[in-house]
Amino acid sequence: MKRMTGRPVPLLALICVFAGLYAGTAAATDSANTELLQRGQYLATAGDCVACHTAPGGKPFAGGLPVPTPIGTIIATNITPSKTAGIGNYTEQQFSDALRRGIRADGKRLYPAMPYTAYAQISDDDVQALYAWFMHGVSPVDTAPTPTRLPFPFNIRLSMAAWNLLFLDSKPFTPDPGKSAEWNRGAYLVRGLEHCSTCHTPRNLLMAEQSSHALAGGEVGTWHAPNITSDANSGIGGWSASDLVAYMKLGHAAGRAQAAGPMAEAVDNSLQHLTATDLQAIATYLKTVPAQHDPADTRAVDTWGAASNELDSLRGVALPSDPNKMSGAQLYDAYCASCHQDSGQGSFDGGLPSLFHNTATGRTHTNNLVMVILDGIDWPADGSGVHMPGFAQTLSDQQVATLGSYLLKHYGNPAAVISADQVKSLRAGGAPSHLVLLARLALIVVLLVLVAIIAMFMRRRRREAIQAEHD
Amino acid sequence: MSEQLSADIVVIGSGIVGSLAARRLALQGASVLILEAGPRLDRGRVVAAFRNSPIKGNWMSPYPPSPWAPHPIYVPKDNGYLKQAGPYPYPAEYIRAVGGTTWHWAAMAWRLVPNDVRIKSLYGVGVDWPMSYEELDPWYQEAEELIGVAGAPDTGSPRNQPFPMEPVAEPWSMRRFRERLAPAYAVVANTVARNSRSYGGRPACVGNNSCQPICPVNAQYLGINAVEAAEVAGAKVVPNAVVYRIEHDAKGRIAAVHYYDPDKGTHRVTGKTFILAANGIESPKLLLLSASDKYPNGLANSSDMVGRHLMDHPSTSITFYADEELWLGRGPQSPSSINTLRDGAFRSEHAPYRLDFTNISQVLSVTQDLIKEGVYGTEFDKQLRWRAAHQVSVKNVLEVLPDPDNRITLSSEKDAMGIPKPEAHYSIGDYTRRAAEVSKADFARIAELMGGTGLRYSAEGNFANNQHITGTMSMGNDPKSSVVDGFGRTHDHENLFICSTGVMPTAATMNSTLTGIALALRTAGHILPKPANAHAAVSNAEREASLS
Repeated sequence: MKRMTGRPVPLLALICVFAGLYAGTAAATDSANTELLQRGQYLATAGDCVACHTAPGGKPFAGGLPVPTPIGTIIATNITPSKTAGIGNYTEQQFSDALRRGIRADGKRLYPAMPYTAYAQISDDDVQALYAWFMHGVSPVDTAPTPTRLPFPFNIRLSMAAWNLLFLDSKPFTPDPGKSAEWNRGAYLVRGLEHCSTCHTPRNLLMAEQSSHALAGGEVGTWHAPNITSDANSGIGGWSASDLVAYMKLGHAAGRAQAAGPMAEAVDNSLQHLTATDLQAIATYLKTVPAQHDPADTRAVDTWGAASNELDSLRGVALPSDPNKMSGAQLYDAYCASCHQDSGQGSFDGGLPSLFHNTATGRTHTNNLVMVILDGIDWPADGSGVHMPGFAQTLSDQQVATLGSYLLKHYGNPAAVISADQVKSLRAGGAPSHLVLLARLALIVVLLVLVAIIAMFMRRRRREAIQAEHD
Repeated sequence: MSEQLSADIVVIGSGIVGSLAARRLALQGASVLILEAGPRLDRGRVVAAFRNSPIKGNWMSPYPPSPWAPHPIYVPKDNGYLKQAGPYPYPAEYIRAVGGTTWHWAAMAWRLVPNDVRIKSLYGVGVDWPMSYEELDPWYQEAEELIGVAGAPDTGSPRNQPFPMEPVAEPWSMRRFRERLAPAYAVVANTVARNSRSYGGRPACVGNNSCQPICPVNAQYLGINAVEAAEVAGAKVVPNAVVYRIEHDAKGRIAAVHYYDPDKGTHRVTGKTFILAANGIESPKLLLLSASDKYPNGLANSSDMVGRHLMDHPSTSITFYADEELWLGRGPQSPSSINTLRDGAFRSEHAPYRLDFTNISQVLSVTQDLIKEGVYGTEFDKQLRWRAAHQVSVKNVLEVLPDPDNRITLSSEKDAMGIPKPEAHYSIGDYTRRAAEVSKADFARIAELMGGTGLRYSAEGNFANNQHITGTMSMGNDPKSSVVDGFGRTHDHENLFICSTGVMPTAATMNSTLTGIALALRTAGHILPKPANAHAAVSNAEREASLS
């Protein structure tokens, strides 16, 4: 493979670069080195490594964040250059294998919570820059987070080798000569470092991305990562490239959508820091992703609803003493109207978003609306920017369901509804996954089949033996 | 109904002051129980009550008193809870509910000026405080970081650390005041517990202009935020617990407090340390109510000072039409003021004051005026538009001196639970009245600089009250002339502390809440000293809770 044969040269070059730095001789190598580190840092930002590998309030890249997955909680590891607790002893080849093939330095397999299936697309040059930055730009932290302990059978990491055989395409990105350089740059970022498909592509029973439905929308815990294909109704087909760039840069596109939940984190940690050129490239590529249409989306998801209110039904009417009996209009008046205004129109400058012509209320998939009512929006992490209060502590399941359904009916897709059971489930962290149980059942079936085969085989051998005796 | 409640620390009153003391102690590992006479309210329902009420101008209307824990109501008529003994009326407003009176406030979070605590030494009036401004500074800072204070640097109150937040965006009207009054007067942004950006898990102010009766979006720090912070820290809150007696043992230590539930069932709560934090009226009421054979004048009252030295901030004002459209009502209700008159040699002659500009929408009051004047039809529309755009108002906030005859006593009348109502004895002294006269020249000058017409001074001898209840349980070093020591501990009872604006020995010119909180944090720090390295205002536990 080309990657293998190409490896020693850049590594040697890198050693020379650092040797030059420490010797303090050549200014040219210094600036080359600085450039390499800066590029590595930029690429690490694009890859959003920090999102998983940093715990809230913890040191950058020191790991420790518990990542809930359908097969159990995976604890992100320390990827600082610590020689005792991090990846300080990794060679560039080992770093590359972890990043692009999901294989640790000790040969054990990573779980695909680490998006190596996407990172497999990263070029050799970029791996080199990333390696340089992780080794020399990141401060080592000598504390190791508690190791991941998954339930059987997923605690056997070798099982991932079989998974990789089925689902890992380890070929780096190859540019399409028929497309522009901008398109190719966008495709490289979307498919590789930005690993958009990790969330936005639906997964099969074995949690692998369904490549035939690329970017058609997936589930991220309790949140729904929506369709971002070029479909005019279900996806972003109706968005201009500048809408997409604004969304990635600011976390909202006026009159269309705003980032919340994990997407707000992605904007906060990664997308907003990308260069205008790269954001433009991503937009250019996304606009060409093959459309995936959901027949339920009978019109564009950001064109539903209109300004309206039911104030006349409220004035002078006493609130019911049972909070669960409050009407949608009463709940809206009490908890929403002070910011989103009487008729859901938001503020004149869009700083407080309108609730109609908003993907938050325009989708038939309503989990995100529930989640944003429960959790609010709060980013960046220092709390200085976008903030919508969460109402998890304030509103009951029934109240969220009544309010959410009211919002959908007045300002969004009237075919969509929210049930109290749905709210209850999302509040509790989402529907439990049966993957562990399924895997165990599958193993039992396999074992039973094996036992049956062995039994049959033994029986046959005995029969043969008896027959032989008789012969 | 006789479940036995007990805690290391028992706090009576769940207002912003008591709750933040409770939070600090709970973070230190103490078990903390907060007893609140009133019910627990839900912000959304208060917002809905306000939005759907035809009464918009009366800020108490979304807070009807509960039968078991009444509070004073004056509109549409006096409910007779706070009895008035005169000679001057003292129509104080406060809220008995979980979170207390700061459910509605202008969020003014002012520090004193350094000389406020030495007016006896410097100007021969009032009393000195048992501490310096410098001693208060770190506690002010901790309070400001907790409740999220935004402010401008040049208000006369020095500080060692920056404000947690830059000032809230200046409304147009205030900008014009600032520009047109310069250089005669420096108009600066008020120091407020209101977010100018996201802070503490709460959003920035979006300018609903209903700070009173309710901030609908949680941009303004309320007592209920303090209660929730105390709960996150581990404190337990018991609502509808009307404390009616504090019980002492033979040695004079506090052994328990007794409360009624709404059905008048009785409960006894024991503890190691007790904090009385039920505001400057209900707290002295409770001390007086708890009289025993050993303490016939009430608890903590060997000095006979409990309830005395009642102070507030009276105000006179001017209303006029500016010669340009200012459209009050955009942004917070009270954004800016003039702070240069808070201190000076004149304090030996008359009270200092702050000049405060209202930014409350004038539409309601102008409408009422026009109806009263009999204006109607197209002329009404025309006048309403013109006046609402041009009408402005400035008030002074005057210091009053501690006077033992201004006091809270027990009335012979009782409330529905059979508990004596509080009674106010109040007058406004010459020191304050002289300042009101002096400030008229400022009013005239401000009106002149704004091209004012239709000047209307508040009626001669009429003072509006500001609900800054102070002084009724003053702190001091001498047990003969004060109720608590410099750390809020009652001179008479080793394990009874008071956290309240009521411990302030003088009222100065500033809204009292921030000083009340700073003193309460200092008291909490005295009860359970904190290791120096654990002085973070917001704990990690709280950060995580606010993220979850």
